[in-house]
Amino acid sequence: MQPELTDTQTLLLETVSKFLANEVPLERVRALEASGEMDTQTWDALREQGWLALPFGEALGGGGGSWVDAGCLLEAVSRRAVPLPLLEAWVAGRALEAAGDPDGLVPGLLAGRALPVPALFEAKQRFDETTLVVSDGRLDGTKAFVDYGDCASHHLVSAREPGGPALFLVEVTGATVRCEPLQSIGRTPLVAAHYRGAPARRIGGEAELTALRLSGQALAAVQCVAAMQEALDQTLAYARVREQFGRPIGSFQAVRHHAANMAIEIARARWLVYEALASIDSGGAQVETIALAKASASLAVPKVTMLAHQIYGGNGVIEENDLYFHTLRGKEASLAWGTADECLDLVANEIDQKVDWL
Amino acid sequence: MDFSWKPEHLAFRDELRAFIKVWRTPELLAEYKATYGGGGERIHRFHEAISEKGWMRMCWPREVGGEGRSMLFHFIFVEEMEYWGMPYGNLTFTSVAPTLAAFGSEAQKAEYLPGIYRGELTFALGYSEPNAGTDLAALRTRAVRDGDDWVINGQKIWTSLADVSTHLWLAVRTDPDAPKHAGISIVIVKTDSPGIRIRPLHTMYGGHTNETFYDDVRVPVENTVGEVNAGWPIIMHALNHERVALAATGSLAKLYDDLVDHLRAALPERLADPVVRRQLALLKLRLREHRGLAVRNAWLIAKGETPISEASMAKISATELRTDLANTAMDLLGRAGGLSAGSPGPAPFEGRAEFNYRLSPIFRFGGGTNEVQRDIIASAGLGLPR
Repeated sequence: MQPELTDTQTLLLETVSKFLANEVPLERVRALEASGEMDTQTWDALREQGWLALPFGEALGGGGGSWVDAGCLLEAVSRRAVPLPLLEAWVAGRALEAAGDPDGLVPGLLAGRALPVPALFEAKQRFDETTLVVSDGRLDGTKAFVDYGDCASHHLVSAREPGGPALFLVEVTGATVRCEPLQSIGRTPLVAAHYRGAPARRIGGEAELTALRLSGQALAAVQCVAAMQEALDQTLAYARVREQFGRPIGSFQAVRHHAANMAIEIARARWLVYEALASIDSGGAQVETIALAKASASLAVPKVTMLAHQIYGGNGVIEENDLYFHTLRGKEASLAWGTADECLDLVANEIDQKVDWL
Repeated sequence: MDFSWKPEHLAFRDELRAFIKVWRTPELLAEYKATYGGGGERIHRFHEAISEKGWMRMCWPREVGGEGRSMLFHFIFVEEMEYWGMPYGNLTFTSVAPTLAAFGSEAQKAEYLPGIYRGELTFALGYSEPNAGTDLAALRTRAVRDGDDWVINGQKIWTSLADVSTHLWLAVRTDPDAPKHAGISIVIVKTDSPGIRIRPLHTMYGGHTNETFYDDVRVPVENTVGEVNAGWPIIMHALNHERVALAATGSLAKLYDDLVDHLRAALPERLADPVVRRQLALLKLRLREHRGLAVRNAWLIAKGETPISEASMAKISATELRTDLANTAMDLLGRAGGLSAGSPGPAPFEGRAEFNYRLSPIFRFGGGTNEVQRDIIASAGLGLPR
């Protein structure tokens, strides 16, 4: 029992936060939102700093870090609202690494030559279901929601083969893969990917697919926590200085109670989310543990960010200020990798089981 | 980051469960219920058995007879006792004893602590007064010095267990001219002292609390805990410990487990209903969320910190969850959920959903209202101006 960040993790978080505050002007983030692009400049910087390599094994040039380490780094990046496919590259890269990385995509990722991202989610299916089929090594159909799909060199696609669902590697080339950009609340690159006879190489079965989904779900929950924490911190800073009736609004009991409720929601989710990451690291990850963490974070996002707006008033909704980033990114993350409802369904499936509360 | 319990924690949990299995007899539970925690012969023997194990004081400093074990063991102890509904010593053990260990004189520690951990001495807390509730520092019960004695006059309310306790842990005004937080002292008073009158106030959750009246009650000045007029921080310390106990998840987890067990055994078709399953999943989520706050709080204490904001969060979370759990459980049980213990029907799992519904309001304002807790979080945790 040592449920706090290590000194190294705290240092990492602070270093990355400071770096991003200095190197990533929010005007650039606003411009990227408008153009629908990822921040390649910051991406290259993260690579050069060795931070992109964090969760990969040393054999592939990685930093040998844990998912908790990765969560800290992702939280720092998410709090700056930078559009970067960090979650996507990490979970796809780790799946490739587990499969022996047949095409050397992980070193390619770390050298800036490749960018694999997961392509799992379909229009009418639950987040953990797939109807696409691979036959004779070819993939046809549509993945309706692929984050950073048009920035990627490869998609890691969930699809069915005769033995059940599996994981396939598809190279993004104009002829067989078409990416159709979507406009979504999070304002980060999101596409529908249409595959037509795309060559698909099997790199894992159902177990590998599940592992990818669990880490993606836990990291999406980190993005929720990051959005909430940033929304709270910005709101507190505002409530200390904004005066009405001759007093800082943060001295009014109604505002103080809103803020306390925000902090409680975040504390609840934060614990479960980092506990979930640690459970993946220790090899004991349960579908339910991760689902509970994501449900907690997803349910908290609208409560926390809407209270932030309630306190912040008109200044919170204008795009010259920074609160809106987190309202929007947070809601996108709460929908991604399993909504609260989908996650609660997973918990409900197991509700007959005896619980070990300790 | 490591969220796992160590083998010694799990071994302790297993040892506790085996111990509780032996002691948790219908007779003991009936006595607990009949005396509302006040205790009788069986409860006394149970306390002696706990004391022999050393569990009452295992986390106390070695100087006062403890083993100096991590507070995580205390957390596990309270969780298991709460889960199984055992009378383990409540506020005397969770609030008075650690506060006495921190602030009491050597003579007081020697006089009271051994008796507390043998279960012979029990304390009722005398803080609130009719006009000093949430604004506790407005309390007016006076202690006036007369030679080596205090002479106490006034009235306390919500003095639960005063009628079955050996002592009162009394907050009194010892300097009426000082600023209101600076003129308060804590005095230990024997409940059988002349001049004390106890009147029961019957409650909607069964049993009673009390109001207590003090008419020229004489107490030796040496019964003052800590310095005279320095009682306020002692009260805060004691309340902080009280909140840790209030934040325990044991009895909440038991309510959830009983509900699922009952549905599985008696109403399998209802348990198969997706709407019911979703409601249960949400309760389970809320329990897991709360448990995180409670463990974090206990762990900070184990580290030697005095969590303030975190303790308030855990207190709010536990107490509001008790209402939600009891309410949802009753709704899922339908009219049967409203049946009280002992009713033909029979009442599902001894009417504990219905009982907890009636019980739950007190925890939301007792030990410091949840509104005050939110103010504490805003100031101590979030740095908002007052």
